[in-house]
Amino acid sequence: MVKAPQFVDDHMRTIIVGVADFKFTTDPSVCLATYALGSCLGITFHDETRRIGGLLHAMLPTAQLHKEQKIRETMFLDTGIPKALNTLVRAGAKKQDIRCKVFGGAQLMATDNFFRIGSKNIDMFYKISQELELDVVAWEVSGRINRTIKLNNQTGEVIVKIPTKPEFLR
Amino acid sequence: MKAAADFQTVVEMTRSIPCAPAILPKLLKLTEGTSSDLGELEMLISLDTGLATNVLRTANSAYFANAQRCESIADAILRLGSKTLYRIAASTLTGRWLVHPVRGYGWEPGDLCKHSLCVAICAETFAKSMHLADPSTAYTAGLIHDLGKFALAYANFSVLDDIASRVPDEFGTWREAEMAILGYDSMDVTKALLENWGFPSTFVSVGYYYSAPSGAPEQDKMLVTLIHAAKHLATQLGYGVGVDGFYSNPDESALKDAGFREDEMDAAIPDILTAIQRFIRADGSVHFT
Repeated sequence: MVKAPQFVDDHMRTIIVGVADFKFTTDPSVCLATYALGSCLGITFHDETRRIGGLLHAMLPTAQLHKEQKIRETMFLDTGIPKALNTLVRAGAKKQDIRCKVFGGAQLMATDNFFRIGSKNIDMFYKISQELELDVVAWEVSGRINRTIKLNNQTGEVIVKIPTKPEFLR
Repeated sequence: MKAAADFQTVVEMTRSIPCAPAILPKLLKLTEGTSSDLGELEMLISLDTGLATNVLRTANSAYFANAQRCESIADAILRLGSKTLYRIAASTLTGRWLVHPVRGYGWEPGDLCKHSLCVAICAETFAKSMHLADPSTAYTAGLIHDLGKFALAYANFSVLDDIASRVPDEFGTWREAEMAILGYDSMDVTKALLENWGFPSTFVSVGYYYSAPSGAPEQDKMLVTLIHAAKHLATQLGYGVGVDGFYSNPDESALKDAGFREDEMDAAIPDILTAIQRFIRADGSVHFT
């Protein structure tokens, strides 16, 4: 449900998460933000009890295509999500208390053979979320829009910004 | 609402294109000495859409041009010399437009420069791996491919808000909406700008046909298709993409004819991202060191 934004206190510090990157915080007064999710997925993780939050900005579904290369685990969903969960658990979060929200996966207009990263990412996230039994409480995916997101580690709420539209919370 | 069909006004308002302020001190330092590092100067200028445009335009102007067209930044630097470069940089950068967000495409300041830089890097990567075009030419074409959109946004027609509100409900793509509502589209503007500035016809073809490369002249088709592919890949990466970005139709026929394959394009993304992140920070700022 869309609510009016009443989200971030001015004094809250924001940590920026780049493309193919994961960051986490144990500080309730910190926000985690990432810009311009095109077909990439931005996944927030939040343990509300312990105020531990994380944000993964993954670009591609699987590292399998890139076995020959030295990879960044956070670039891919199938390596980035396990890494993010392990990091959060090591930081003190309980896996059963982590709630996930997923954003992005924008898609170009109909094409059968090209530029399908958005839909592939969504499919892969769904598969991994089933395998790892993630508690996914919000899906804001697909469509033809760029999204910028910001996780408030105090509340677990995520503010979503898209071009020319008012911000909203998920 | 302002008149929609003011094509000439849009073109005439675009006398210079904005450049990122961060490069000015470094650029001036490089151009003030007598032993400029050509490679470093070329890299610096190539990173900035507006400055690269102005340098190439000036090098191909009636005053500087000779029988041979300048198609690369390196050639333009050699032709112009450091004093002229300094003048171009100073006038371009002080006359910048980026202090204000431009309207119409949902851009934040600097977004077009970021997106164009991504398209340029994608184009250069594909040019190297697929041998479809000279990598430097592909890079330059990526930088200048969408100048018409900036011109439209800079002209600040409120009619662009009308377009935004009618895509996708009434018009499937932004191009269709621009044609129906303005009577021309951003590619017409790009073509007019590049022709007015004396760009080689190859670049004019890129600006005019990149969204539908099957229609490009045969001799330019490979480069135009390369930019088409680079444009769509860069759009998926998200950097600097406006509200229009995902509303365009990939030209599958042209892509297949040119030899593009989805798995190979996806496989190139990690290297492309590494190249992009040399210049664009996590917070979206562009840096040149």
